[in-house]
Amino acid sequence: QQVKMKCFREPHRQIEKRRRDKMNNLIDELAAMIPACQPMARKLDKLTVLRKAVQHLKALKAGMGSAFSETTCNPSILPHDDLRHLLLRAADGFLLVVSCDRAKILFISESVSKILNFSRLELTGQSLFDFIHHKDINKVKEQLSSSEMYPRQRLLDAATGVQVQVDAPVRATHLTTGARRSFFCRMKHSRLTEKHEDKHSLPTASKKKDTYRFCTLHCTGYMRSWPSSQLDSLEADADKESSTLTCLVTMCRLYSHASHQPSKDINVKPTEFVTRCAIDGKFTFVDQQATTVIGYLPQEVLGTSCYEYFHQDDLQHLAGKHRQVLRSKEKIETQCYKFKTKYGSYVSLQSQWFSFTNPWTKEVEFIVSLNRVISGPGHTKDEEEAGSSKALQDDIKQIPVIPGFSSGTGTMIYAGSIGTQIANELIDSYRVNSSPSSGASSPFGPAQEKCPLVSPQTSRSVSDLNNRTGNFPTVTNSNHEAPTGISLLGEPAQLDLDSMVVPGLSSFSSDEAAMAVIMSLLETDVNMGQSGELEDLHWPF
Amino acid sequence: ERNLVQAISREAARRRRRVESDVFGDLSRLLPLQPSVRAHLDKPSVIRLTLSYIRMHTVLKGNSDEEEKNTEEFEASQETNMYLGILEGFVMVLSTEGDMIFLSDNVSKYMGLTQTELMGHNIFEYTHPCDHEEIRSNLRLTKRDFVMRIKSALTHRGRTANLKSATWKVLHCQGRAKVCVDPSAVSCLLLTCRPLPLSHTLLSRYTFTSQHSMDMRFTYCDQRLTSLLGYRPEELLGRSIYDLCHALDTSCLNKNHLNLCLKNQSVSGQYRMLVKGGGYVWVESHSAVIPSVRPSRSRPGIPQPLCILSVTYVLRCVWADPPVLTVLEMTILRISALTLDSQTLIVNLTIIIVIIN
Repeated sequence: QQVKMKCFREPHRQIEKRRRDKMNNLIDELAAMIPACQPMARKLDKLTVLRKAVQHLKALKAGMGSAFSETTCNPSILPHDDLRHLLLRAADGFLLVVSCDRAKILFISESVSKILNFSRLELTGQSLFDFIHHKDINKVKEQLSSSEMYPRQRLLDAATGVQVQVDAPVRATHLTTGARRSFFCRMKHSRLTEKHEDKHSLPTASKKKDTYRFCTLHCTGYMRSWPSSQLDSLEADADKESSTLTCLVTMCRLYSHASHQPSKDINVKPTEFVTRCAIDGKFTFVDQQATTVIGYLPQEVLGTSCYEYFHQDDLQHLAGKHRQVLRSKEKIETQCYKFKTKYGSYVSLQSQWFSFTNPWTKEVEFIVSLNRVISGPGHTKDEEEAGSSKALQDDIKQIPVIPGFSSGTGTMIYAGSIGTQIANELIDSYRVNSSPSSGASSPFGPAQEKCPLVSPQTSRSVSDLNNRTGNFPTVTNSNHEAPTGISLLGEPAQLDLDSMVVPGLSSFSSDEAAMAVIMSLLETDVNMGQSGELEDLHWPF
Repeated sequence: ERNLVQAISREAARRRRRVESDVFGDLSRLLPLQPSVRAHLDKPSVIRLTLSYIRMHTVLKGNSDEEEKNTEEFEASQETNMYLGILEGFVMVLSTEGDMIFLSDNVSKYMGLTQTELMGHNIFEYTHPCDHEEIRSNLRLTKRDFVMRIKSALTHRGRTANLKSATWKVLHCQGRAKVCVDPSAVSCLLLTCRPLPLSHTLLSRYTFTSQHSMDMRFTYCDQRLTSLLGYRPEELLGRSIYDLCHALDTSCLNKNHLNLCLKNQSVSGQYRMLVKGGGYVWVESHSAVIPSVRPSRSRPGIPQPLCILSVTYVLRCVWADPPVLTVLEMTILRISALTLDSQTLIVNLTIIIVIIN
């Protein structure tokens, strides 16, 4: 008993008192559960409560039916039906037994009706493939396979976690009880009886163009073989050389999306888009919705600094926010600012920034930005005028004074260097704060009892960051190889800034070329703010 | 005279105790326990188990009679064992205060403590203090999925040791809430608890393994990755997993990472991994921290530092062609971005249509 553990020297009196208190608490709890003890003016004594409990249990058993009243040895306390029910309910799942050779559903538990809305009868004896999403059929086939169709099996060595290749064709030993399977697949969800649809199954079902919806299931189980002599009711395949029936016995659990949704406060609406950049402001992720707003495709922007797109009037404010977000755990809201689109015009945005700190290294790794378009008639005209001059695209003029930068007269500063500078400040502060020794100190304190810890890396240079974060992951330009970054043993490869910028669509087919021509013609029109006459345009066709 | 009074009161006390013991005996005989178990129960345990019994009765009352109730006892136990075997874990019913109302009897296999020892006690007595917060918040939600550390009295060899020398065992708990309407609106949590099985899982083409340093940078990934996501393994080495995933899944990955640092095991839930060339795939990762391996005489080799091993399942297969926009779509998007009023937009789009035709 845990109580005894603590008190060696406590007087016996105290131990007794504690024991009595515990007993009294239990008796009170018991009294609270028994209806007969309920509306009592004064507290009942121990014996009476116990007697009433006996009566209550007898009454429960009488009312319950034979199963629950079994007092004979039932190791689980609960009758098996109830335990099974409880298990399937907890797991939101059903049991499925499928033959390996023809994927015939040999057995399926009743709980399937709650999950897929098909009755047990509808499914038993059917082919499993009739109910699996067509894109997952190969996956399920592979799991059922018992032949040398998929000879390369991979197992994990439990001790080291290293994969062990088993190149020999699969032998029957792999199929005996214990050969575990685990996979995800989508199964049909019947919409026939709309009214029986459980609330919990709706969020996971995805719409398809035909009449069925699908639920994602996590199936875990194992392979099991029975010699066919035991099976009289089931078909025995006479043409198989082995007279055994092999099945996959699996529990299929409804895969819940709900518990892992992105936090509710990140709600991306159509006029919003998400970006991620390294701590120096260079884009590492741009979602596709961005194109509708900024004109650039994600590939065109990755690796470039966000400062290249900020209007010079906003640089000071945004640099300040940049500094702030790197040092704060909170979300930082920017004011409205202008972002340069592909064709020179500006769009008004307002963003929420938050930085992400790697839990192991405790260093900021990147910044996620949720960007919102601020629309308004006043803005557009100003933007047109400001954006029409192409000069802005090419050279950056003198920028206003930003704290931390030497602002000599006539200084030309590449906008991206602002971000790099801010990032370097942060990295320097890490160097200063980090402890010089690499001991066994855990970032997580004494709570981490089990494993000795390696002290995390601390200092990194900006160039390391460039290597790791630039140009990743969408690169469609065939001329440009994705940098391999850091190999396990070698030094980090130094990449120059130029190679970070992805030129974008450079491999055009003739259709694309035609479109490009059209675009350039239209661009001219729009930038001038006029709508051109059709006759004025010279079509190359 | 006084001796007589004392003797009478002592006798009365003895009689009370006897009566009390009898009632306790009656109570324990009404509980569905094995005789050997019943014989060793102390009084507080009898009450605890009675409480559980009453509560479970309420929980199961809403049990619809879909299941065949008239299965043979033997068959039923076989079937149940099969279920529990597939689950590779045990079932736990928790009250909103954290009392372990019910545990399936195979809990002894995982915790080294028996069902009767544990039932009725509070889960906070047996779990790691740093996980209490998380457990508490999970008691309030409807669908649960979390990882916690629980005391285990099992030794390496599988024997049961004293609770004093218990170690922490990591369990993945999943389940849902159940609201019992009668008699009082009590709700409880139904959970399956299982240690995460990373070993002896037969991997398919739709999963890949990877190893990471503790900051989640790739140190290894297997070849399957290429057919699933398009990258060559070398391309990923040294890169952080956070870079490889959709920005909105940062918090999901963060939680996964924290679980690994604190509890040594984690299930990520679904998140998006970016495919080379555009688009993404929904995946789920099951990960564990592998202790540092120093080569020994029995197991020579390269020394391996502490690292994370991940098995990643692709939930939905990759599309044959990633959903990159067609040139036409891109053009239309760009025009929309440029055009500031709807009239001009219509004109521009009409031009496009004319050209196409």
